[in-house]
Amino acid sequence: MIYKWFLLHQWREMKRSSIWQRNIALNIVLGLLIGIMLLYLLVLGLFIDKILAELYPDGDPVKIFNGILFYYFGFEFFLRFFMQSLPTLNIESYLHLPIKKSSIVHYVAAKSVFMIGNYLSWLVMVPFAFKVIAPAYSTNTAVVWLASFVLLVFTINFFTTYVKRQLVNKPSIVGVFGLVLIALVLLDYFGVLSLSAASTFAFGQILLHHELIVLPIVLVILSYLLNYWFLKSRLYPDEVTVKKKQKQDSLADIKYLKTLGLTGQLISLDLRLIWRHKRTRSIVFMAPLFLLYGLFFYPNPAYQKMYPMFIFVGIFMTGGMMLNYINYCFSYESNYFDNILVNYKDLERYIRTKYILGISIATACYILTIPYIFFGTDIFLINTMTYLYNIGFLSFVLFYVATFSKKRMDLSKGATFNYQGMGASHWLSMLPAFLLPVLIFLPFNFMGYKTGGMLFIGALGVAGLLFSRLMIAFVYKQFMKRRYEMAEGFRE
Amino acid sequence: MIQVNNLTKQYAGVKVLDIENFTINKGESFGLVGNNGAGKTTFFRLILDLIRASSGTVLINYEAVNKSISWKMITGSYLDQRFLIDYLTPEEYFEFLSNVHGLSKGDLEKFYSDFATFFNDEILGKKKYIRDLSKGNQQKVGIAAALMTKPELLILDEPFNGLDPSTQIRLKNILNEKKNDPNVTVLVSSHDLKHVTDVCGRIAVLDKGRIIHDITTSKDTLVELENYFAV
Repeated sequence: MIYKWFLLHQWREMKRSSIWQRNIALNIVLGLLIGIMLLYLLVLGLFIDKILAELYPDGDPVKIFNGILFYYFGFEFFLRFFMQSLPTLNIESYLHLPIKKSSIVHYVAAKSVFMIGNYLSWLVMVPFAFKVIAPAYSTNTAVVWLASFVLLVFTINFFTTYVKRQLVNKPSIVGVFGLVLIALVLLDYFGVLSLSAASTFAFGQILLHHELIVLPIVLVILSYLLNYWFLKSRLYPDEVTVKKKQKQDSLADIKYLKTLGLTGQLISLDLRLIWRHKRTRSIVFMAPLFLLYGLFFYPNPAYQKMYPMFIFVGIFMTGGMMLNYINYCFSYESNYFDNILVNYKDLERYIRTKYILGISIATACYILTIPYIFFGTDIFLINTMTYLYNIGFLSFVLFYVATFSKKRMDLSKGATFNYQGMGASHWLSMLPAFLLPVLIFLPFNFMGYKTGGMLFIGALGVAGLLFSRLMIAFVYKQFMKRRYEMAEGFRE
Repeated sequence: MIQVNNLTKQYAGVKVLDIENFTINKGESFGLVGNNGAGKTTFFRLILDLIRASSGTVLINYEAVNKSISWKMITGSYLDQRFLIDYLTPEEYFEFLSNVHGLSKGDLEKFYSDFATFFNDEILGKKKYIRDLSKGNQQKVGIAAALMTKPELLILDEPFNGLDPSTQIRLKNILNEKKNDPNVTVLVSSHDLKHVTDVCGRIAVLDKGRIIHDITTSKDTLVELENYFAV
């Protein structure tokens, strides 16, 4: 069994990477969080019948539950899209060996089955099926219903990995798919069509006609094959990067940047770095997803009571892209980091350049979120204040954290089998930065000074901007302290 | 052993390799020389089916390499560091390979003792990951891995690069042994003309993707090659 070896190798790779050894603390926190989540879900599952009866005393719990399943799948898709990292394998080490190519592809395509995300929902679904559906229908029906649900979860799993893989390859497909999703949500919001009715109907039919389980089976196979075919056609490592004749872009001679001297040159270098690598470019194409994030929260009446939640959304929208850039800005250059240390005479300016680019990205995102003013001036205030917080405060925190990056990123490698994107651990490590403003806001909110709280968060950012020289000098000092460790890690 | 028919490889519309008809016979020791960018590695990668040909085919034992995998059973190869699984220790790597190739524990032990001098106590039992070895020692691991299965077809890209003088001589001895073995076909590329003339019975010069000389090695070959590249 070659799969056994692949698994063993990947386990060793993970265990032996310096990142893993360093991040034991983070892994423990992650484990704890997952444990807490499991506990919550288990409790929710055990009392699901009571909760539904409490919330909807007159409704049929099965119908209500079926009605939310489509939303749940949509939610799961988004969550997975951002949180789930793609399974990878360093195929070049295996291609010359007598191993069937299809085995390699099957392994990479199927590995996502082991992700814990596929099993979390079982904690709620299994009790529901046997406590609610089985008494109302029959045990057989409960099993069929549960099986359909599980199959659909795996369909979502395979489909999300496919979409994520396409993100690097053909971002336009992802864009179109995103637009369709948004259109569905908007149509549902304005009552043109009802996802909940469709969901109730679909799962209601499965309860009545057990043979319909064929449909989810077909879906799961199809979504798996999508991945399989996609990977299979990209087994030759050289093709992913140089398939088309690359036109030389004109990024190098943007006139305005030239007038800025060295700073301009450094910015232009970073722009070219981002634009000329598929992996970084795909993040640019992800920007609309960050910006549309608000659409799922601001109009939803269910969230209106959770004002602090909006701070979170605001930070994410105006700062998500910046966060991505600053977090990786040193690792992106890992291939020639030694060169930077040797040749750049003014490393403080190097940091300042990165800062300027980072806040420019945030500013662009902020400008694009201005139309949210449609949902009220409150929302506009949130976006503005979180934007100020992002550029004046969060940015420096991120730079500080970024000086701890040690992981080499080989951008020139084809991304299909080596995609190192953002995973759950990445977002979790950023959580404190998101939560701090919420924590600051809570006491203000408690005393009823919502606007005051928002202004305070913004003021924090303005203060950071006023002292930006000092802050950059501080980051620079930290960078100089850490530069050997960084360079060592990047060389690995 | 190897037949090449109208093989081309294009990148961005530029032909980097263009070999019409070319055969390497069983038992030959074949050397490939050429300047940087001449297409040596591309040619090897095409033979090993690591890149897709723009047109044409490579046959090993009359089977197209991109259609069948039976050639992998008889081929040992090492092109560059990417062949190594660098987060394993050398022992773990060899164990994995012996398993993939269906070798027994005894075969593996035999391999270790056969290569003891080649490794020169720098590879085995060091409790180091391959990534922590020096470039030269990584090269040793890769070459030994390619030789491990006693392949009928051995393909090495610039095997002498980065090796210390003693190991270079040891490798030369191994390759000379293979040269005299009628069952083993060897393909080697190198920048060092002396090395190639020492270990190969036939040498081809690759220039801008085309084979422009195809010589049977004699005592004049080295001078002939030096004159060609002196331009």
